[in-house]
Amino acid sequence: MKSTNIALRGLGLIAIALVVIFPFWVTSTANPESYLNVMITAGTSAVLTLSLNICMGYGGLLSLAHTGMQMMGGYAIGLAMLNYDINPWIGILIAAAASTIFSILMITISLRATYLYFGMITLAANLIAMESFRTALGNDGMITEIYRPAWGGVDLSTRQFYFLTMGILAIAYLVQRNTILSGFGRATMALRESTDTASALGVSPNAQRVKIFAIAGGLAGVAGAILAMQGSFMSPEIGDMGGGLIFFVGLFLGGVGTLVGPVAGVALIAAIDFEIRFSGAYRTLILGALLLLCMMVLPRGIVGTFRASRLGSPHELKEEPDTSGEEIITISNGVVGEIAIEAIDVVKHFGGIKAVDGVSISIKSGRVHGIIGPNGSGKSTLVSCLTRYHQLTSGEVKFFGARMPKTPHKVARAGVTRVFQIPHLFERVSVRDNVLTGMYLQERYTWIEAVLRMPRYFISTRAEEKQAAALLHLVGLGKKSEIAAANLSHGQKRLLEIVRAVSARPKVLILDEPATGLTQGELDALHNLILFLKNQGLAVVLIEHNVEFLMGLADVVTVLESGKVIAEDRPEAVRNDPRVIEAYLGRTDISELMGE
Amino acid sequence: MNLQALFDGLFSGAIYGLVALTLTITYQPTRIMNFAQGETFVLGAAVGFEIIGVRKWPWPVGLAIMLVIAVIMGLIMERMVILPVQLSGSRFAWIIATLAAALIFQSIFSLRYVGDTLSFPPFIDKTFSVGSARISAQQIIAIIVSLSIIAIYDQFLRRTIHGRAMRATAHNSDTAIILGVPTKRLVVGAFVGSAVLGALAGFLWCPENGINPATGLSFTISGFTAAVIGGVGSPRGALFGGLIVGLLNSIAGAIFGGIASGIAVFVALGLILVLKPAGLFGKPIEGH
Repeated sequence: MKSTNIALRGLGLIAIALVVIFPFWVTSTANPESYLNVMITAGTSAVLTLSLNICMGYGGLLSLAHTGMQMMGGYAIGLAMLNYDINPWIGILIAAAASTIFSILMITISLRATYLYFGMITLAANLIAMESFRTALGNDGMITEIYRPAWGGVDLSTRQFYFLTMGILAIAYLVQRNTILSGFGRATMALRESTDTASALGVSPNAQRVKIFAIAGGLAGVAGAILAMQGSFMSPEIGDMGGGLIFFVGLFLGGVGTLVGPVAGVALIAAIDFEIRFSGAYRTLILGALLLLCMMVLPRGIVGTFRASRLGSPHELKEEPDTSGEEIITISNGVVGEIAIEAIDVVKHFGGIKAVDGVSISIKSGRVHGIIGPNGSGKSTLVSCLTRYHQLTSGEVKFFGARMPKTPHKVARAGVTRVFQIPHLFERVSVRDNVLTGMYLQERYTWIEAVLRMPRYFISTRAEEKQAAALLHLVGLGKKSEIAAANLSHGQKRLLEIVRAVSARPKVLILDEPATGLTQGELDALHNLILFLKNQGLAVVLIEHNVEFLMGLADVVTVLESGKVIAEDRPEAVRNDPRVIEAYLGRTDISELMGE
Repeated sequence: MNLQALFDGLFSGAIYGLVALTLTITYQPTRIMNFAQGETFVLGAAVGFEIIGVRKWPWPVGLAIMLVIAVIMGLIMERMVILPVQLSGSRFAWIIATLAAALIFQSIFSLRYVGDTLSFPPFIDKTFSVGSARISAQQIIAIIVSLSIIAIYDQFLRRTIHGRAMRATAHNSDTAIILGVPTKRLVVGAFVGSAVLGALAGFLWCPENGINPATGLSFTISGFTAAVIGGVGSPRGALFGGLIVGLLNSIAGAIFGGIASGIAVFVALGLILVLKPAGLFGKPIEGH
């Protein structure tokens, strides 16, 4: 593994070295300018493809407006220059700002739309923007005489402009990498996998989507600025989706949702395109056929396929990272017996069905509160009401005496996390990153600090990694911290999910049937973990069908039937309650017969 | 009200509705929006141009040959799109596969018809005057044929066992397989059917307005817009979406001039999606 990493580093350095010596190498050729221009175009494409990767690959947002964002940037710098005589260096920033605003507008009007429809809105916005420039500016929207920035009073030569472009590409890559490798990036990826899970970890879905789309917009605007200065013109055709194909192609060839993929993909496409430049009309045909072929041979792109291979994927560690000497992890320091969540007369109707019909319940710190009941008795619905995944029909929920916030992610922020009935792990990322994603709420650094890698980022990250290692050690997953979560067993996944949920240091933890499908050994581990959390003062709500398991842990058990509480007491009392026995087994006289 | 704009809008609206329907047909069992659908449109025009325009063979022969070639194109396209999508597994694979297919067909058409505008004489060369406005027999035929096809498909989905199988697959293809629906054959059928109808749309459109062989993608986008305005998945939605796009285009064009027509359509698209995110007749689509 280590040797592969060194080899990859070496490969990266060679690529950078080639990019640096390229202009000096081509001076001996007949027309060095044309080679440089090919590279500048490729560099611009790479910046735009990085932006596309951020929003599609990592954010899961289908954007069909990237060429439009680029056009927006190009027009912003061009118009600023021609009408207001703005310095091109500042123009680049204006381009980024204009395109950011354009993308924020696009996403705020379309937050309700999902997937394909979201893509269609971006496509419509793209076409509207193109038509607007065509109409508003005259001359079919064509503006010319956009010039390059100057250095020391002289306009940049093509070679200098080449280095500027490559520098911007390097910056764009770092922005992408540092964004993705931060808590901000992990929250984005969580959202890509599941809105519900991300909310349960405290991520605000809408705010996060707007932010990620704005960042993508900013990068695309910079790409547009370079494009405008290189060609010294801007026209609505730049925004044409057809011309944007190459970015999709580059992204997929390199690998969607990988850091280096977009750059590698664009480099490859540019090279192929250069090779076949004399094929005239056959060029598109060759590119298209090549693309289909690549999809079949390299379905995840170059980088993605490598990462999925034995050589490129991380292995189980030989030794567990040393976590001794760490202070004992404190998850919670709740006051035992204090009421954490108080639900008063909660009612939830779905159409005519009374799923929860007037339930009052108090959940206390330092206690395990079991909830049992037959299938369909309203257990999960009740929990979803408490955590605001459902709006209440009537009733009230209090959290430490105050009103419970109104949206799921705010509930999580207040200190209530839940583990869903169906596992919701982030399967593609490593076990450790799953835990780190759970620490989203603890992060004290901003996006800017992460991108610039300022001290607070390092301090926070180091502390988080230590905690994550300690937490994984606690549940015996220390050796597996590097591997993808998808490769864990079912029981390990459940434990990891709980660890992820508590890594945010909540005050209340809600577990919805965590014991389903676990082996005896895994049940014991889960039992110990819940006891450990309880002893730290955490309020644990445990919904479970495995009555043995629940009775061994719970301090108090609430029994639901048909949306109503039919009993609430200590486990042994509930066990003998005739109403409970009837709800579960039918009438006692009959169930006694069956028991014999 | 400008009657001419109304006639033209009805004509193009009916054709866009048909294109929207073809997109819906492949979308339902596969969840793939086929960016290459517009190429079948160009195919219909191209066959008409070669057989009826250049060789002067009679219309019915042209139609028959067009249908046969469209079936073949549908079969090829199904493999070109479905195979990479299945092998890839990425949730955006369909965009790339269909865009690549569109690219390939587009360059084949451009290579074969360099500099040509595809056009051929109409089936019945006759024009009717209503006041100052004119409507051709070709336009009337196109409107009637498109509307009937959409109506028949709507009834097919609702009334026949195959239609129900189609809807079941659209809803949940795994469950459909368990219930014994031959989903693979259904997908092939959907691609062939939509290729045939797409080619027919181009065949009906072409005598009235010639086609540049490289503009398949723009017809795809018009069809998309229509499908999305109406709500993807519903034949009625396709029809209404198509008519909205066609009429808005021609009426806005007649009142404010050519450029406004494009803006009007996409503003309408934006508005409808913001107000009714699943289109006028559609059900919400889950992300996947």
